[in-house]
Amino acid sequence: MAELRKGFHHELDEVKQEVLRLAASTIESIARATNVILSGDLEGADYLIQFDDEIDARSVDLEDRCYQILALQAPVAGDLRQVVALVKMVAEIERSSDLTVNICKAARRIYGHELDPKLRGIIAKMGDQAQQLFAAAIEAFETGDVAKAAALDDMDSYLDGLQRQFVQAILESHSAGHIELQVAIQLAVVARFYERIGDHAVNMAERVLYMITGWLPEHKGAARFKERTGEIPRPPEVD
Amino acid sequence: MAEIQQSTDSSQPDSVVLSSHQLSVFYGEFCAVRDVDLEVRRGEITAFIGPSGCGKSTVLRCFNRMNDLIPGARVEGRVDYHGIDLYGADADAGEVRRRIGMVFQKPNPFPKSIYDNVAYGARVTGIKKHSELDAIVEKSLRGAALWDEVKDRLKTSAMGLSGGQQQRLCIARSIAIEPEVLLMDEPCSALDPIATARIEDLMDEIKQDYTIVIVTHNMQQAARVSDRTAFFTTEVNSESDRRTGVLVEFDRTQKMFSTPVDERTEAYVTGRFG
Repeated sequence: MAELRKGFHHELDEVKQEVLRLAASTIESIARATNVILSGDLEGADYLIQFDDEIDARSVDLEDRCYQILALQAPVAGDLRQVVALVKMVAEIERSSDLTVNICKAARRIYGHELDPKLRGIIAKMGDQAQQLFAAAIEAFETGDVAKAAALDDMDSYLDGLQRQFVQAILESHSAGHIELQVAIQLAVVARFYERIGDHAVNMAERVLYMITGWLPEHKGAARFKERTGEIPRPPEVD
Repeated sequence: MAEIQQSTDSSQPDSVVLSSHQLSVFYGEFCAVRDVDLEVRRGEITAFIGPSGCGKSTVLRCFNRMNDLIPGARVEGRVDYHGIDLYGADADAGEVRRRIGMVFQKPNPFPKSIYDNVAYGARVTGIKKHSELDAIVEKSLRGAALWDEVKDRLKTSAMGLSGGQQQRLCIARSIAIEPEVLLMDEPCSALDPIATARIEDLMDEIKQDYTIVIVTHNMQQAARVSDRTAFFTTEVNSESDRRTGVLVEFDRTQKMFSTPVDERTEAYVTGRFG
């Protein structure tokens, strides 16, 4: 039988494509940010900081389009899950783009300081891994690949491990007198930014799972709360 | 064919008011709907949705034996009301319809006064005392959220009421004889959005006292008002090229409209199926 509500489904597809493009732009930004910090490319830093404004504008527009769909089309079932997932994913992508800006700002602060090859090597690996996680989440989203989405959490452990390794390497480099304390702190924060990008990619993959299967991620805190109290938390009542 | 998706709620077995078991309905040789298994629970609103010809109204009519009135109609399988076979030898169709009331698509007040419409059922059951009838009329009209609008003109014709008021009058008339179950066959399809919202509010208010089963073409209405939703569709018989209704999925409404299990339900509620 013929498909109904074609206009609505077309709009839903378009928003999905736009979200994919937004994510693709952010994947590019992650690679550029890594290049900025490794090569001390101040122009590149300025470019990325400005480019984030465009990401912000596109995110707001996409969020608004999702609200229009909710308000006007009353989506249900798979359509509803897709709109809800899109709203959440736009927020994850937008925040990840902010983190690339943070990396660029840190790069400005440590401009002119030489880094050990070991530190440079781990930065390159972290950048690469964050990019891969993001790309995997988006691929799972595009193709509706449940297995790939479910694998993200494990992939993220590798990035977490790199972050720990990096902090250790920073301490060693600082102890050996190769980098100043200020630089060491900036580098530790940069590692944290990459690690957060990985977390946002994992969140996106969770939303892909929700979109396809209806599974809502069970956050550890929520699970502990339920275990302790046997209740689902509700906001306190206001008199 | 895939098995019917149905969640079981074995924690409250006593709450089942109506249930059908392998229910099939025939009009002459033609099978309108087949093999329906579902349970209606007390204090809940159960919605039937599905495309035209899927058998949802036919199943609804089985619940108070309205199909008996259609020549050539025949029922196979069982319909149980508190475990009693509604089509059994000792079931009285009149008594069944007293306990299981019905509200139709088009408001159908009698061409009588508002008062006489509501008092009609009570008079049929032998109540004659004015004070008693007055009490029943007021209680029923209050129950149908119509009292304040008509209390000063109870003796005027019911035909002068608006469509929405007429439908609430029909609900008042149904609940005047204190049925346990109210069957509603597209009760809002002839009403404007405000009158529809009033009926929906009313359903929510009275569901504690009356178990409600509603057939609706409006999926959003099913989503708004019901606790459980049954989705029916049609299957084409390749030999006769005729359509027979089947129950596809029956579950909590929240589940049916967020994560339905059967892909036919998904296709229907999202409009990917004409």
